[in-house]
Amino acid sequence: MPCQARLLETMDPLFVALNLFRRRKFEECVDVCTELLQKNPYDQSAWHLKMRALTEQVYVDEVEVDEEGIAEMMMDDNVIASVSRPGTSLKTPGTGQGAPSAGVRPMSQSGRPLSGFVRPGTQSGRPGTMEQAIRTPRTAHTARPVTSASGRFVRLGTASMLSTPDGPFINLARLNFAKYAAKPNLAKALFEYIFHHENDVRNALELASLATQACQFKDWWWKVQLGKCYYRLGLYRDAEKQFKSALVQQPMVDTYLYLCKVYVRLDQPLTAVEVFQQGLEKFPGETTLQTGIARVYEAMNDMSNAVKCYKDVLKHDSTHIEALACIASHHFYTDQPEIALRYYRRLLQMGVYSAELFNNLGLCCFYAQQYDMTLQSFERALSLSDNDLITADIWYNIGQVAMGIGDTGLAQQCFRLVLSANNDHAEGYNNLGVLELRKGHVDQARAFFQAAQGLAPHMFEAHYNFGALADQVGDLQSSYNAIKKSVEAYPDHADSKDLLMQLKKHFSVL
Amino acid sequence: MSLFKARDWWAVSIGSEEIFGHSNLCVANIDNAPSQLDKVIVGSYQGIVRIYSPQSGKAESLKAEDVFLEQQLQHPILQLEVGKFVSVSDALHLAVLHPRKLAVYSVSGSSASVEHGSQYQLKLVYEHNLQRSAYNMVVGPFGSVKGKDFLCVQSLDGTVSFFEQESFAFSRFLPNFLLPGPITYIPRTDSFVTVSSSWQVESYKYQVLAVAHDADSKEESQRVVVGKKISVDWTFNLGEPVIDVTVAPVNNASPVILILGERSVVCLKDNGTLKFMKKLEYNPCCFYPHTSMAEDTVMYLAATNTGQMMVYGGVTLKWAAKLEYAPVSIRVGQYQDLKGVITTLDADGHLTCSYLGTDPSLLVVPTPESREINYDEQDEEMKRLQQVIRESSHSADVLPKKVSEEELQIQAHVPPNLDRTSVYDYFLTTDCIQVSTEDGVKDEDPIPSITVKITLSSRSGLQNVRLLIDSPFPVTANQGTFTIPYVGDSNNPSQILVSFFMRGNSLPSKTVARATATYHLPSGPPRIAQCDIKLPLKLVCKPAGPVKNATFKLTLDTNRNCVNLNDIFPDFITSDGSGSSNAMGFQIFGGPVVTLLSSKSSQRYRLQCDVFEAMWPVMKEFLDRVVKYQLQSGAKDFQCSFSSNLPLQEYFDLIEMHLELRRHAERYKDLLDQRAKQFRAIQRRLLTRFKDKTPAPLANLDTLLDGTYRQILKLAEGVEENQAALVRCSMGLGCATHIINTLLKLQFNLTDKEMEVLEASLTPEVYCDGEQGWEETVDAAISNLLRTCLAKTAKDQTINPTAFEMPPDSSKLKKHIMQLTDRLTKGGRLFIEGQEPGQRTVKATQAVARPPSGVSRDFSTDDTRSSGNA
Repeated sequence: MPCQARLLETMDPLFVALNLFRRRKFEECVDVCTELLQKNPYDQSAWHLKMRALTEQVYVDEVEVDEEGIAEMMMDDNVIASVSRPGTSLKTPGTGQGAPSAGVRPMSQSGRPLSGFVRPGTQSGRPGTMEQAIRTPRTAHTARPVTSASGRFVRLGTASMLSTPDGPFINLARLNFAKYAAKPNLAKALFEYIFHHENDVRNALELASLATQACQFKDWWWKVQLGKCYYRLGLYRDAEKQFKSALVQQPMVDTYLYLCKVYVRLDQPLTAVEVFQQGLEKFPGETTLQTGIARVYEAMNDMSNAVKCYKDVLKHDSTHIEALACIASHHFYTDQPEIALRYYRRLLQMGVYSAELFNNLGLCCFYAQQYDMTLQSFERALSLSDNDLITADIWYNIGQVAMGIGDTGLAQQCFRLVLSANNDHAEGYNNLGVLELRKGHVDQARAFFQAAQGLAPHMFEAHYNFGALADQVGDLQSSYNAIKKSVEAYPDHADSKDLLMQLKKHFSVL
Repeated sequence: MSLFKARDWWAVSIGSEEIFGHSNLCVANIDNAPSQLDKVIVGSYQGIVRIYSPQSGKAESLKAEDVFLEQQLQHPILQLEVGKFVSVSDALHLAVLHPRKLAVYSVSGSSASVEHGSQYQLKLVYEHNLQRSAYNMVVGPFGSVKGKDFLCVQSLDGTVSFFEQESFAFSRFLPNFLLPGPITYIPRTDSFVTVSSSWQVESYKYQVLAVAHDADSKEESQRVVVGKKISVDWTFNLGEPVIDVTVAPVNNASPVILILGERSVVCLKDNGTLKFMKKLEYNPCCFYPHTSMAEDTVMYLAATNTGQMMVYGGVTLKWAAKLEYAPVSIRVGQYQDLKGVITTLDADGHLTCSYLGTDPSLLVVPTPESREINYDEQDEEMKRLQQVIRESSHSADVLPKKVSEEELQIQAHVPPNLDRTSVYDYFLTTDCIQVSTEDGVKDEDPIPSITVKITLSSRSGLQNVRLLIDSPFPVTANQGTFTIPYVGDSNNPSQILVSFFMRGNSLPSKTVARATATYHLPSGPPRIAQCDIKLPLKLVCKPAGPVKNATFKLTLDTNRNCVNLNDIFPDFITSDGSGSSNAMGFQIFGGPVVTLLSSKSSQRYRLQCDVFEAMWPVMKEFLDRVVKYQLQSGAKDFQCSFSSNLPLQEYFDLIEMHLELRRHAERYKDLLDQRAKQFRAIQRRLLTRFKDKTPAPLANLDTLLDGTYRQILKLAEGVEENQAALVRCSMGLGCATHIINTLLKLQFNLTDKEMEVLEASLTPEVYCDGEQGWEETVDAAISNLLRTCLAKTAKDQTINPTAFEMPPDSSKLKKHIMQLTDRLTKGGRLFIEGQEPGQRTVKATQAVARPPSGVSRDFSTDDTRSSGNA
């Protein structure tokens, strides 16, 4: 940049660096700071600024990071009751109030309804055993780290090495933490650097505990940071203590959010909601807190409360995309496609322009009987889709539309295309099986149902279809096994229950 | 994300290659015009100051009279402020902060008779030289003076210098300073608010700053190096970096301090207590407070890096609008007859005056690719495509037609001789391929290798061809993958040398390697080309002396006189001449000796060996060579047959062994699973023990953990051993299956098609990895044969597929194999649905009377002793 160079000549380089930082040109800021540090390696202000610029490059709000590793899930030693009372746990959401049944709204593996908004942790479920967790088919999109201490965060560590080809900027092993902990000016930025950029939670924890001692436990900020470190290390009870103590000193929105994260991880959704409410008393109208309540309710399958909270969010921030999307999907699954359509159209007007949105618009249009827009929306969605999983879902929905208008030939071709885009698409297999069955191709149908069963054990449709088919051809043993799985996946499915009863009666006669 | 966009009222793009900072925009009635209308003052880091007077209705082009003034100053402009800086006048003046200088100018205009004739001038009133590099400045009636504005400059190293208009007042160090932060002045409490590098909001009383000088030095100067400690009025711990601080007026209440942090907006009362805070879900870049009509609410505008502007009333979002550019500075001004015009400036000099309107922020949606629809053509195309789909769905299992000419040709040239010096030792020593001691072949003779030349040629040149060599275990290649950057045409082919040698200590069930090349046609679609490489027997066998007695014997009948074995195996004549024309020995490397005998009187050959399955490589090679030899010598109707009982018992023993090993593997897996669970359970208990605040005794849990760990290691070793044995056994089973299949073929004179069906059912490919095992696969395939083409009655034909599970024992499979041979004996034919059983060639061996088999009358290992044996 020529004018940048000229600026450097006429102005103080530190001023230029500060200016670049403010304009979020972090790489250039780092370059200027590096030059300053070459001239004077003990320039604390340049060191501080470079640290912050490097941190800011990789900064992700810790409130949003929520990836539960397999080991954390399986080795969960915070469980209070293995069988919790209904409505008090996120693990067995149970039948909430006002939630549509699984027959109408699809469920994820854990038995929670699919959310209208993809967040970390909304798609993955809790597998039953470690072996099952490891064996569950994983693609690049659904992969989850084995433990949250490794996996995702490691990438950031290597990214930091790349950005400074001649080694890391700060050699943590040689840092005298006690010295820096006593300097609040440097210590806070250093902590964020270690925590976010280096992703070295142990060293961050050491610095934080030294610093909180150095300020005689009077700084709430250090307590929150200690809590963050404890949370990362899986010491939830210690984290809770730190956050609570910080809140006594100075109520802050972030601290409430962190504390609720701890409660959600401890599987105490009701306490989390209570803490959110306390936060809302202190900070009325804070949308992040309201969203937090809505997410907890959604995870507990309590859709009516969740939607109420999302509506509160919209009162304070009418451009909140997550709230709009979740309300829209709720309306769609409660048989009000026209209202859902309005919410989705608003999202479109606000500039959300993605394959997913057009896909949803297409479906809403179809069910709201606005047939002229349906295919156009799907066409757009297909042209915007840049990933095979999305493409598969769009074709699947087109297939549904084709089934709706009775064009089974088109439907079959659509479902075939689903499988060509994503051959792990269990719903696609199931529907293809149904179509084959209609044509009387029993063997084909059975193969498709079996494939669907294997891919998605949480989906009751494939189990039921297979069971019904096996029952018809006289293979009662397989039928019984499949129907049992179906009832397990969806205990209120009337057809499954009927068939199971029949089979039991039959067996008892034998 | 916003529904609407801000409507442009007036816009101008200033300068070229100039950079504008966040405090380079100022809106004020700088020329003290009686109309009280605001002007826009803009300064750049390149030192150019400009004054504009926006006029409505001219959004398209900038008119000359809109520009009041444009002047180049000597130094970069860091900040512009407007105030009553001159003691003798009440008029507004312009203060300009340069890196080392603070200058105050007066702006005056002299109107002329025509509209565009007005002249404006910038006149320097006074200036202060600064000793330190300045960062920013703040103006205000410090000390609550009336009708005057003083200046305060913050330098990069943390001194604040105060100037009471034309005269310098004093300088002070801010305590605990590292990096300069935003600073502002609150008139009501007469104090300064700044944010330190430890992310605390700090407030200093002006009085405290003013009196805090050393008593010794009477004279104040900017060159202070030491100062007395200044006490802070109040602090507020914010906990995040801050972008800007400002004082916002509130209707009917005392003003509040608004702080724009990097992640939230915080509002403090002027005594340092929190009024409200709002967490932002975007990266803000600048903000500006706005007077609000309602009581006790704070209104402010905030802009994001993505060019959104939000209007907040307290914590509630009132309006969101899309801006054309991401601003660095935002102000509100009153121009002409319009109040509250939002004035924004971005870093590249786009100065825009806009107002909020309900113009939708129109997203230009690209139209999907559409073409003129010709319905007739479309119908036709649809019909054609439907046809294609129907055809392909009907004949889904028909192999795709072979392309007449492949783009890429692969040819493998196998030299007749083995390598003079084997590469085996080389690889062993250089560790290119890891050979563990138990894996390697144990043989006293060196393991030979053969180097095959693979030639690739294309028709028109191909780029990036990948060649993969698939060698059947235990034979291996010295390199598995090759990437060829360019393959030329047949005049200029690419050649690749690859060496094969035996590595694993196991029987070779197959000596055919395969080379597969993958490439992309220039037009895009991927293609593959394949070529089989038939490796010579010498690679896995070496000549040995014939062994007279052996456990297992196989006798093959022919309809021609026996040939001299030396003729068909010229490459296996031992150097010491221990073999003869009717007895020959082959030793598989690291394995048993197979002896091939030919009868002198009858038309028979015999194979014998101590290990049943080891006969396969020799048997296959012998059959291939003898058929070829007979053809060459002119015998057109040469037939080979097998008439004795099938060696099924030996075969079943092998199956039993294989199944046993598989069961072992399962058992190991279960045990491993159980131990791993136990390990995790102990771990979990230990974890809770260690986490406990009151340390409890470990109760030997650590010993238990250690023990379980050792058990797991042991088990893992067992699994590995078992796996190695399973691989060896699988190869043996493959060999034995080959023998059985070949014997069946010879015995029942199966056609090639039937042989294909048989090989597909009783498959010699024994895989040891994967969920499905050989036994259940073969069982299912044979049951299928028994129910379809070999079915006796219609009752048998009901298909009731069973689940693919490892059978508890091999009895069912054995029974099925017995049934298969039975039915074949009874004249069953092998074919699959849709095929007709082909006509078998003449049953030549029927007419020949045979002596009962299993008698070793005219076979002997030694020529001389044969008469004695007989």
